[in-house]
Formats: sequence, structure tokens, C-alpha cells
Amino acid sequence: MAKPTTIRIPEDLLNEIDQIVQELKLDRSAYLREVLRKGFSMDKQDRLFEKYNRRELSQMEVCEELGWSPWEFLAQLKAKNFHLNVDLEDWLDAAALEG
Amino acid sequence: MPLMVADSSALILLAKCGLLEIVCDFFDVVVPAAVNIEVASEKMVKNYPDAALISVLTSKGAIKIQSPGSDRLSMPISLHKGEEEALLLAIKLGRALLATDDGKAIKAARFFNVPFIVTPKIVVELFRLKKISFKKARESLEKLGKIGRYSPEIIADALIMLMEKENGKANNHKDT
Repeated sequence: MAKPTTIRIPEDLLNEIDQIVQELKLDRSAYLREVLRKGFSMDKQDRLFEKYNRRELSQMEVCEELGWSPWEFLAQLKAKNFHLNVDLEDWLDAAALEG
Repeated sequence: MPLMVADSSALILLAKCGLLEIVCDFFDVVVPAAVNIEVASEKMVKNYPDAALISVLTSKGAIKIQSPGSDRLSMPISLHKGEEEALLLAIKLGRALLATDDGKAIKAARFFNVPFIVTPKIVVELFRLKKISFKKARESLEKLGKIGRYSPEIIADALIMLMEKENGKANNHKDT
């Protein structure tokens, strides 16, 4: 169930939002909820990827938080132009294979 | 055959760079059940062609599923279930190499002194061991950069290492 909350929004931003809401004939509350949901989801991804880059989270820990599969994780790394959190030292320290 | 325990990150990249079957031919590849579910569940197989390949290799026994038992690792670093079980399995199996492409899993492997390998190194090593051609190795490394999201500096270093090994082979042929 949705709960009410109050936030202060700069007037120019509110005017712009109202303009879009009128143009698209949308319900302002529903529109703001959707924008907030999208923004929060993107921010959550960014925060988790930062932790992943700092090696505070593993790939699968990020997947668990975001409800992704490891396949999706790789696709998202590509979409965001990020890299794996394996560093040069890991590569240099990696063991050799026995023949 | 040498033993390799793989987590999801390594299985996926080996499949994506077209080397998983070759690795399974020359190494005993073992994964815990949690890893198999993460990468090759029914839903994954439907959505990702490489997940289907992993599933086929598992059903043929080329990738073996093994439980690490009910023990848990006591460590200062948390890992997800599959990653932790892969590490635990590598510890239990003793002479196993942990294949992972996750920085945090590598950190945990270092903590337990478990030897680890990352996929670009597997590529270079397969070439050194004459299991794949230079062309195949180079293509695989390029895929690891583009699709596998390995950093350009690691891929560049891996390509240099690959070329050095190729030149070394050429020089050896000249000497003989």
C-alpha cells in the first residue's frame, strides 16, 4: 500500500513536471511515483556497482540484490561500459595450469 | 587430469569465449550445485544459449557437480552461496585450482591460500600447453575484453604474454 510523504521540490522543477503531466494527461502522483521508482532503481544499481568495483561485493551478491542472473550482470556491465572487478595484480598472481 | 573448481563467473566467461568444452576435455571441471543453479537453471537455459551449453556439458558429465558438504567457511569476507561453496570445494579437494573472475572471490581465495586462475590466464595457458592455436587464443582474449568486460590493461597484458609465448615457440623451432 502506498504511503504519503512530503518533499520540497524547487519551483522550476515542479513547473516542468506539471507541464509534462498536463501534456501527457497523466496523474501527477502516479507520474512522480514512477519517476522516483526509476531513479531509485538506477541509484541502487550505481551504488551496488561502486561496491562491486571496490570489491566489497561479489558479482553474485550484486545479482542477489538486484534480482539479476549472472548472465544479466555481464550484459549490464557491457551496457554501462563497466569492467569486471579483477585487477592487474589478480591477473599477474593467477596460477599456471598443469599440463 | 588436473582438477579445476569453477564458480559462475568463470563458467560463463569460458562459455562465452568458446573454450568451455576444451577446458572440460583436458581438466576435471567440478562445480557445486549452487553454481549450476545460478548459471544453468531451466530459466537460464531458455534465455541464454551459453547456459544451454553448460547444461549439456553437465548432463554429459563433462562438468561434474559435487557438494562441498555442510561445512561453512569462517572468514572475514562474505560471499554468495555459489562462490563460497566453490571456494570450500577447492579447499576440500586439496589439489584443485579455483577458476573465478570475481575480485572478491579472489580476495577470499588469497585469504585461504587457495590457488586461483582467471579466464584470460586459462586462455594463455591453454595455448602454452598446445591445447589451442594462437588464433583461437587471440580471439578468445578479444572476446574476454569485449563480451567478458575484462579491463583493457589485463587484455593487453594477456595478448603480450600470448605473443611472447608464440615467439618463444617460433625461436625454439628455429633453434632445433
